[in-house]
Amino acid sequence: MTKTAKTKSQVHSYCYQCVAGPDILKVEIEDGVATQVKPSFEIADVHPAGGKVCVKAFGLIQKTYNPYRVLTPMKRTNPKKGRDQDPGFVPISWDEALEAVCGKLNKAREEGLKDASGYPRVAASFGGGGTPTSYMGTFPAFLSAWGAVDMSFGSGQGVKCYHSEHLYGELWHRAFTVSPDTPLAELIISFGANVEASGGVCGIKRHADARDRGVKRIQVEPHLSVTGACSAEWVPIRPKTDPAFMFAMVNVMLHEIGMARLDVPFLKNRTSSPYLLAPNGFYMRDPASGKPLMWDLKTSRAVPYDTPDADPALEGSFKVSGQELGPDQVIWNHDQVDCCPAFAALVNHVKDYTPEWAAEICGVKAEQVRSVANQFVDHAHIGETIDIEGRTLPFRPVAISLGKTVNNGWGGYECCWARTLMACLVGGLEVPGGTLGTTVRLNRPADNRWTSVKPGPDGFMHFPMNPTKKGEWKSRSSSRHAHETLIPLAANSPWSQALGPTHLAWMMQKENFENMPDATPPDVWFVYRTNPAVSFWDTKSVSEVMAKFPFTVCFAYTMDETNYMADILLPECTDLEGLQLIRIGGSKYVEQFWEHSGFALRDPASPPAGESRDFSWIATQLAKGTGLLGAYNTAINKGAAGVRLMGENFDFALDPDVEHSVEEIWDASCRAASAELTDGAETQGLEYFREHGFRVKKFPKLRWYLSPALEDQGLRFELPYQERLLRIGQELGDRLHEQGINWWDRQLKEYEAMPHWQDLQKLWETALEDGFGIKIGDYPFWLITARSMQYSWGGNAGLQMIHEVASNIAGHKGVIMNPSAAAKLGLKEGDLIEIASPLGKTKGPVVLRHGIRPDTLLMVGQFDHWETPFAKDLHVPSMNALTPMMLELTDATGSGADLVKVKVTRLGGAA
Amino acid sequence: MTRYSIVADLNRCVGCQTCTAACKHTNATAPGVQWRKVLDIETGEFPDVHRAFMPVGCMHCDDAPCLSVCPTTATRKRDDGIVTIDYDLCIGCAYCTVACPYQARSRVDLPTRAFKGKTMKHEVVREDPKRIGVAQKCTMCSDRIDFGLENGLIPGLDADATPACVNACIAGALHFGDAEDPNSNVSQLLEKNQHFTMHEELGTGPGIHYLWGKSTGNDEPAPEPEMIAEPLGMPGVVPALQKSWDWRAASNFILGGSGTSLFLATAIGGTTGMSMVLPGLLALAMVGLGLFCVWLEIGRPWRFFNVFYHARMSWMTREAMVGIPFMGLGFLTVLTGSIPLGVVAAVFGMAFLYAQGRILRAAKGIPAWRHPGIVPLIVATGLTEGVGIFAVYAVIVGAGSSSLQTLASILLILIALRVFAWSSYRTSLGRIGAPTGTFAAFAADPIKLTPTHQAIPVVLLLVALAVPMLSPVLVALAGALALASGWVFKYGLITRAAFNQGYSLKKMPARGAGLSSPGVKPGWTTN
Repeated sequence: MTKTAKTKSQVHSYCYQCVAGPDILKVEIEDGVATQVKPSFEIADVHPAGGKVCVKAFGLIQKTYNPYRVLTPMKRTNPKKGRDQDPGFVPISWDEALEAVCGKLNKAREEGLKDASGYPRVAASFGGGGTPTSYMGTFPAFLSAWGAVDMSFGSGQGVKCYHSEHLYGELWHRAFTVSPDTPLAELIISFGANVEASGGVCGIKRHADARDRGVKRIQVEPHLSVTGACSAEWVPIRPKTDPAFMFAMVNVMLHEIGMARLDVPFLKNRTSSPYLLAPNGFYMRDPASGKPLMWDLKTSRAVPYDTPDADPALEGSFKVSGQELGPDQVIWNHDQVDCCPAFAALVNHVKDYTPEWAAEICGVKAEQVRSVANQFVDHAHIGETIDIEGRTLPFRPVAISLGKTVNNGWGGYECCWARTLMACLVGGLEVPGGTLGTTVRLNRPADNRWTSVKPGPDGFMHFPMNPTKKGEWKSRSSSRHAHETLIPLAANSPWSQALGPTHLAWMMQKENFENMPDATPPDVWFVYRTNPAVSFWDTKSVSEVMAKFPFTVCFAYTMDETNYMADILLPECTDLEGLQLIRIGGSKYVEQFWEHSGFALRDPASPPAGESRDFSWIATQLAKGTGLLGAYNTAINKGAAGVRLMGENFDFALDPDVEHSVEEIWDASCRAASAELTDGAETQGLEYFREHGFRVKKFPKLRWYLSPALEDQGLRFELPYQERLLRIGQELGDRLHEQGINWWDRQLKEYEAMPHWQDLQKLWETALEDGFGIKIGDYPFWLITARSMQYSWGGNAGLQMIHEVASNIAGHKGVIMNPSAAAKLGLKEGDLIEIASPLGKTKGPVVLRHGIRPDTLLMVGQFDHWETPFAKDLHVPSMNALTPMMLELTDATGSGADLVKVKVTRLGGAA
Repeated sequence: MTRYSIVADLNRCVGCQTCTAACKHTNATAPGVQWRKVLDIETGEFPDVHRAFMPVGCMHCDDAPCLSVCPTTATRKRDDGIVTIDYDLCIGCAYCTVACPYQARSRVDLPTRAFKGKTMKHEVVREDPKRIGVAQKCTMCSDRIDFGLENGLIPGLDADATPACVNACIAGALHFGDAEDPNSNVSQLLEKNQHFTMHEELGTGPGIHYLWGKSTGNDEPAPEPEMIAEPLGMPGVVPALQKSWDWRAASNFILGGSGTSLFLATAIGGTTGMSMVLPGLLALAMVGLGLFCVWLEIGRPWRFFNVFYHARMSWMTREAMVGIPFMGLGFLTVLTGSIPLGVVAAVFGMAFLYAQGRILRAAKGIPAWRHPGIVPLIVATGLTEGVGIFAVYAVIVGAGSSSLQTLASILLILIALRVFAWSSYRTSLGRIGAPTGTFAAFAADPIKLTPTHQAIPVVLLLVALAVPMLSPVLVALAGALALASGWVFKYGLITRAAFNQGYSLKKMPARGAGLSSPGVKPGWTTN
């Protein structure tokens, strides 16, 4: 029998399953079936990683044809919800599904967008650090048309993100995430940052190039991660003691190395170091202008911070008269009181944080700490400059990066502060080779770090804090986790809800918090590309809470642990079936530093499976069914789907009153994108993008660095002293106490002008002892987790191919343990053990590796699935079931850390 | 000449498995089959620990063991260095699989699905029936290279002429090119960096080179890596028990060795007037049954005749080729009672036995097999087993006392020879080193070829020689014990001691400004 020759073609697409994307790719199609994912070398000259594609993208073929996909709309027939309840899903038509969903929405709308507690009746949870928007087509336009939506039910946000870095990073240097300037760096000190697992193709390429040219990276973390493996040195530090290590580095720089070898001009002119501190800890100010004062060595008098040609003192103590501005506009007048510069206060602040002190805490040698600090200064090239696109900038090729659990939860503030401070000490913040921000999410505009730099108070950048002053503070937040009430730094941008204390949203559903509005469940909860029943903490409690939600709509791929509790399942086209245009380039998360920006198309490589529908079609139908078509189309026209359809030189706006097809919407978007990139000169639409896949224009490399934007406006980085935080902390405390809220007092203590060391291990242990009535000595191990490049963010635990290739890397099948610790317990490789925290227990096989501290256990990734097909049969443990959500373990930014104490019991021999 | 090679920069590799996944896509390999993969290797003890990632796959060796053993000529080497498999010729005997010291080959006998029992569309489209039941491995994407060359592209530089794994490598760790061209990308990398190939001591000339540090201008060869008997947490790296040849292959070595030797004893007995019918038929049946068992094991049994295609190099072909005249002449001997025919058949039988020893010797992928001492050991035990059976037969048919005394003497000598062969083999293997599991398997055999264990039949035979009236029982018992010892040994050798080579890393790479550190040969020990 002669086989018919196969017809082959290719389409352009992208993978944005994780925040380190998007990876631009091509999909090969044989006889109408998508068969292969390939790198896109057409974009090699534009893409920072040469058009290469991450391993996760190769799972997309199986993802498309997964036999376990939900392929028709389904409705629940069992009104009871819970893990022990069979939902009894039965297929229904799209008409019936949309009618059910729109019926609930319309009822909610009739009753008012917000409920009696002031919370939006509609809630939505999306996963993956904002990446679902690259797959949900025009759904953001529907949400925009709808109005208030609560996005506070997290699926990992806050507890598993770079939370402190997000908030403090944006405050200090417009750094939603922070990255070394890897292509120029000489020395990178990485505290648990696992860039080789989470940096995506760009991160991995940049660091591989750096290693090739001899960069030195020192990895400080309790286990030898993939990134540790790729580093020149591994320092196995005790979990959650990183602040001590960093404080001691600062101590070495200030007390051993000395100011003469630091970047004094940078400290004087680009930071708050010279600002004089008044007796109550706030800046001494010029009574006339209200500006902070500094001591001018030229004139030997206090002058406002922006006095031209002043030579401010960094050290010493000076008799100064002036005003001090406290919380809620309280003013203290001072006459000839002793004031020291913030820098001098810093020197004093860290004087006891010696390497010997840190060594005891961190379980490392004092000489290691000392050596790391010295290397940091040695490699800083202080005084050198480099030319970037015609502008001369300082060249400081040293940087510190922070990983998860280091930069979130208690201790996150200390670490973020110390890291950014050390960059300042050598003048390496936001300059070539140094420590850079990547993108902004709280400040505006979100697509331009430079223009987000606006003058704020006291010579610093403006930051849109949630108000804390009397009369301005919001006692009722628009979200169920109270981000506007509790977290000034979370701001209130569209991203802020995701950056609030998302576990509080779940916790408050279980127990009302004193003097807060009743924690009502949302009338309608949308869920897309997330599975908080597995990916959040205390997964049992989270599942129980979502089981109580009255009406849950899940855009379902396969059955999973979250949509098991749903009322309606809507099958949308997956990655390779949907059509969408997204923005690419510029500087974005992790290590996405492009020299171009523009747009890329996700062109369907396979027809929709079963009754699945393009997400934009679903969004349009929801808009129609709720009578919001006009607002929805208008939102699209305004750019809610990624690109404004009208500009100075073009207008491809959709008729608001008419239903538009998916292709019409994206054709208009493509035309607007072409016009935007060419200032209206070209207006090619969908066909152009289908042929070429992407379209870009140059993005100035100079904009990778924020320092020019500050310099041009004469602004300073708000370091080392956090006078503003000190003030708002006190204001917040007053507001909360006025409201009768005392349960946030522990968090208020974090509002320090310069953070002090706190024993974080003890903090955890005490919280667990108090919370669960256990003896912490019975739980001898610290349990931590690590990213898996093959899995992280991918929602792909149900894909066989991913499991197969990930299994080549140690730890994907069990619990990593040090052999000496195992020997003490009589455990051997492969033994089945139970791992129990005070909250719960799980089990898995022992994987013995020398690259982990004996007091620490590691569970890679997030598994513990019990419903997701294929994944549920893997029997791989996850720490999520063991990690409690506790107020005591919530920091002032509202985040927690992946850390818990556990004990181990042998259940049986190797399988 | 062109020599396409891959250079893997261990400083750059991050173990992401993108090459693994890209290879699976490009070549549509079955679930569980990885022509390219990246190992996760750890050395040292806390806190002085190092970890590296090592891409492995077919090394496209200069002197490829898979090629020389292949009985069908399905495995060939192109002029450009690429080792290929002709799926239409291959019979799926898996000899190449056990011959490869890089564990690069596999065989899939049935269409397999990622999600058991459920077929996905792309699995149907990508299915290649030709690949069922035959050997498969990395092709170095030769089709892409050929396409590129036909279109004026340069392999290694132009993506369309470059292997998919190299194209996909996000760390820029994998490079492909012509190592014979001093100006090629790979030659330049080899020039500027220190490098090694895996298992250099085996002399295979691998085509994957590993960079582990910048060249200092005065480079010393990387030292041999340290054997670590019981490494932890590296299940995919340490030697694994080969599964390609199971009891069916073992049966061929057991029955073939015993049968051919029995026939030799039968022929010699024939010269003394003993009937050759029963023992001759038994011998032929044993050899035939052994070959039938092998036939049951091969992936494409109805192509078995392809086994004769490679007499120039393959001992499996040679075994088959001498097997035919042995069986034919053996039957004629039984039918005619011709002593000369029997002698000639016996000579072919001995050639068959020798070939079996050489088959194992040529299997470079199995350290317990490839040792030179395996040939005399296989021959010695085959002869011992054959005479052992013949001794039992002689007792059953009531052979005379002098015959039994003679048989006892011969058996005694053969047992001594076998003990000597075993001891030499085992001592040498222990000195060279082998997978830890191999030594453990030998130690676990219930009956061993050691002097201690073999003392029992030896004592029995000595008593039989000293006390002739006890000969029948003692000789039969000794013969049975000699037979059982050999069978237990060979069954263990094929199915329990046959750990493959595993992987080793000569040098842990220098990462960035860090230093390189000693390598590791995990799962190996001297004993």
